[in-house]
Amino acid sequence: MDKLVEVKGVKKSFLIQKGLGPKRYLQAVNDISFTIRKGETFSLVGESGCGKSTTGRLVNRLLTPDSGEIWFEGKDITKLSDRAMRPLRKHMQMVFQDPYASLNPRMKVKDLVAEPLIIHTKLSAKERDMLASKLLEEVGLGSQHAERYVHEFSGGQRQRIGIARALSVKPKLIIADEPVSALDVSIQSQVINLLQDLQAEHGLAYLFISHDLSVVEHISDRIGVMYLGSLVETADKDKLYDRPLHPYSQALLSAVPVPDPTVKRERIILSGDLPSPVNPPTGCRFHTRCPSCMEICKQIVPEFREAEPGHYVACHLYDDGVQAGGKA
Amino acid sequence: MTERLLDVQGLVTEFKRGSSQIRAVSDVSFHINRREVVGLVGESGCGKSVTSLSLMRLLKDTPGRISGGKVLFEDRDLVTLPEKDMRNIRGNEIAMIFQEPMTSLNPVLKIGKQLEEPLMVHLGLSRSQAKERAADLLRQVGIPRAEEVLHDYPHQLSGGMRQRVMIAMAIACKPKLLIADEPTTALDVTIQAQILELLRKLRADNDMSVLLITHDLGVVAEMCDRVIVMYAGRVVEEGSVQELFENPRHPYTKGLIRSVPKLRQKVHRLESIPGNVPDLSQMPQGCKFAPRCAYATERCLKEEPGLLGVEGTSRKSRCWLANEQTWEERGAVTDGQAG
Amino acid sequence: MKDEAVTGGTQAVVQAGAPTGFKQRFGAFMRKFVKQKTAVVAAVFILILLVIAIIGPLITPYNPSKPNYDALMEGVSAEHLMGTDEYGRDILSRIIYGSRLSLSVSISAVMIAAVLGTALGLLAGYYGGWLDRIIMRGSDVLFSFPDLLLAIGIVAILGPGLINVVIAVAVFGTPSFARIIRSVTLSAKENLFVEAARSMGATNKRIIWRHIFPETVPAIIVNISMRIGGAILAASSLSFLGMGASPSKPDWGAMLSMGRDYLAIAPHIVYFPGLVIFLTVLAFNIFGDGLRDALDPKMKS
Repeated sequence: MDKLVEVKGVKKSFLIQKGLGPKRYLQAVNDISFTIRKGETFSLVGESGCGKSTTGRLVNRLLTPDSGEIWFEGKDITKLSDRAMRPLRKHMQMVFQDPYASLNPRMKVKDLVAEPLIIHTKLSAKERDMLASKLLEEVGLGSQHAERYVHEFSGGQRQRIGIARALSVKPKLIIADEPVSALDVSIQSQVINLLQDLQAEHGLAYLFISHDLSVVEHISDRIGVMYLGSLVETADKDKLYDRPLHPYSQALLSAVPVPDPTVKRERIILSGDLPSPVNPPTGCRFHTRCPSCMEICKQIVPEFREAEPGHYVACHLYDDGVQAGGKA
Repeated sequence: MTERLLDVQGLVTEFKRGSSQIRAVSDVSFHINRREVVGLVGESGCGKSVTSLSLMRLLKDTPGRISGGKVLFEDRDLVTLPEKDMRNIRGNEIAMIFQEPMTSLNPVLKIGKQLEEPLMVHLGLSRSQAKERAADLLRQVGIPRAEEVLHDYPHQLSGGMRQRVMIAMAIACKPKLLIADEPTTALDVTIQAQILELLRKLRADNDMSVLLITHDLGVVAEMCDRVIVMYAGRVVEEGSVQELFENPRHPYTKGLIRSVPKLRQKVHRLESIPGNVPDLSQMPQGCKFAPRCAYATERCLKEEPGLLGVEGTSRKSRCWLANEQTWEERGAVTDGQAG
Repeated sequence: MKDEAVTGGTQAVVQAGAPTGFKQRFGAFMRKFVKQKTAVVAAVFILILLVIAIIGPLITPYNPSKPNYDALMEGVSAEHLMGTDEYGRDILSRIIYGSRLSLSVSISAVMIAAVLGTALGLLAGYYGGWLDRIIMRGSDVLFSFPDLLLAIGIVAILGPGLINVVIAVAVFGTPSFARIIRSVTLSAKENLFVEAARSMGATNKRIIWRHIFPETVPAIIVNISMRIGGAILAASSLSFLGMGASPSKPDWGAMLSMGRDYLAIAPHIVYFPGLVIFLTVLAFNIFGDGLRDALDPKMKS
């Protein structure tokens, strides 16, 4: 069984207006499907409001899908109760975007790192302390820091503590929600290198959520691009970056500023702003800003289908196969 | 008219923390020419935002004070200018846009009203003239349905729209210098592309200079003519954008450029700068970057270099090795601390 | 231009040195507290009172219960610093003994209210839903009674005696704790590290105890100190009304009550217990205020 996580047709909405008047829902995630294999890094990339963070929390069931299925290691976990989920959480840990808020400031570093051990194992305090020290060394912080409090550490160091914590119970999957976005540029690369080293060492799978396409390219095996709650394209890294099929992916990639002044690129500048997720456009959600919009796009939601092996896209341009499609 | 629009000489800004004074900006000197886009680059804590606030004399509500140096704008020294005259310059000859448009726009005033204010105050326009001009400005910054947006409140607009409104307010009086402090950092990447495009167009149309403050090297490469790199409150390197990226003459710049993942780069492992930015109250002796520097010599650890010229160019670098052809890796002299 | 936009860039400089470890926070708290002179005076008074209450029996000059028919209702003198009461008992000694009663009754009542109220507040705030509604409606019902009336009602049901006074005062003190702690819980629940704990698989019990309860401790401490004054007053009032300690016990409120009859001829019998009650309640209130202000993160240190 190669598949670690399978997400099938998952939808999730949030009620944002109760009481008098018609109820309004925010459609955060709209019928998405993807797979994460053991030991691989699958990234979800997209801009604000695209639903990638919500998806991360659906995978580890901090949220419950409205419809669709979530499978973990061959088990259907879609509707499991909190109590039933608890033992499974040993295998899927999370690293958060904000290294300041995700660690309880009243706890010592060693207690923070060992918390999953307290929850999931019966190790003695001494054994936990020893493991915590080992973990701190492994993430590049000396074990002498174990007795200190988090406020003494920088953002990058705190993120390492968060990673050590996630590692403590030897999970199979780590969901990393924008783990380096809040860090300085020169520290980002340190943490990214660390994540890669740990993956090689422990055979971890990552669900890597980010808006930064350069970071994502560096660390991923496969990538899913999200827009306004839908997955618009999924492919192996090289296929996506060499030949993005979906107009949004193309625009996204061309929008990234490259730190090289000699590179002059053809920019695809999208018109308009992101539509409101409370009132998404009809048909293909991207049609209001798409440079290749056709009549059918305004009315019919395109199917998410395999355009070429391993490369999925939801776009009417490819209804008749890749050759018939738009720009390469 | 001189070519130099802004000439910062030896700027020093200090902050009161507890009972001691901390130098957030230490002996910073640079200049901006007419019609030039200059990038001010650095990571958090390097002093770039404090520098921009110092230039605009906006430190009144903070524990910071300019304690030395000159800021010559055309021929006037902004540091010693009376507040009354400074107010005439702000929003009029020098304008500023910030990272978070939501906090710079007044949430209880309509957009139209906020736009009209600088026009009426600085240009002496009547209300109806200002209204017309405001709509015109919104169109200039690419906001469709300009007349409708004049009646909106800031919270009704998206982040990209709010940033456009702020830009409209900034260019309303056709300033000579626009200071943009991380203008696109809070925006999505596709919106960022729109805003950068807009800034380019406006700069050409209005003949402005721009001081673009950012930590994003990609934005710098795309937008700037010249770049100033700051670290620990000091300027560590200065030069044209091509020279800087092609052949950085300061190890920090070099490390920074190499640690940013670039699209289509295909490297196995990213380079990184070990260690952390030093605490402003506990700065090392000698070169402030030396503890993290792979090429640091004994001299670097003891003596702080001045901003030296790089031979054969107009570039400057605060590094004893600035003029050496090759740099020898001596191993970073950190205390083993990861960042 | 708004202040926030202007100061945004400077925050990195100032905040970088703001420590949040326990020792530093305690130090910062002490500095803020000490700036409020009246609160410090109140704290000293309370400390002295506590010491007196503890070592009481060792320093009382006379036996507080033994009548002395030779010295009935004597005024202030060298032998009796506060005079004697209608049975010739030394008032100073009775007041010293009474401090034990008053303080132990009020402190235990408030502690019980704190424990109950905190538990209810944590549960209501964390779980929400019907549990929250029941607990809050129950608190509302209790809140709607004037404190003293409620206490009288409870004592009337349970019968007189100090233990029942403690119960009554604890009951009417619980809702305020529940309400305050519930509100702190609601905001503490939103902390990212709580979500992190949940994602790790922590049980609700662990989250409440390890991650939410510590956030409520400052509020609990402040509320305790603010309510002790009211508890002393309530206990004294109940005793005054004859519903608390038996009149022979040297309870301050009972002393007030018994001295009423002799107000015209020997007012000191009423003045001294009254003064002591007044000063004690005032001291606790001022101390509580000072504590709250010092713990308030928004006040500049």
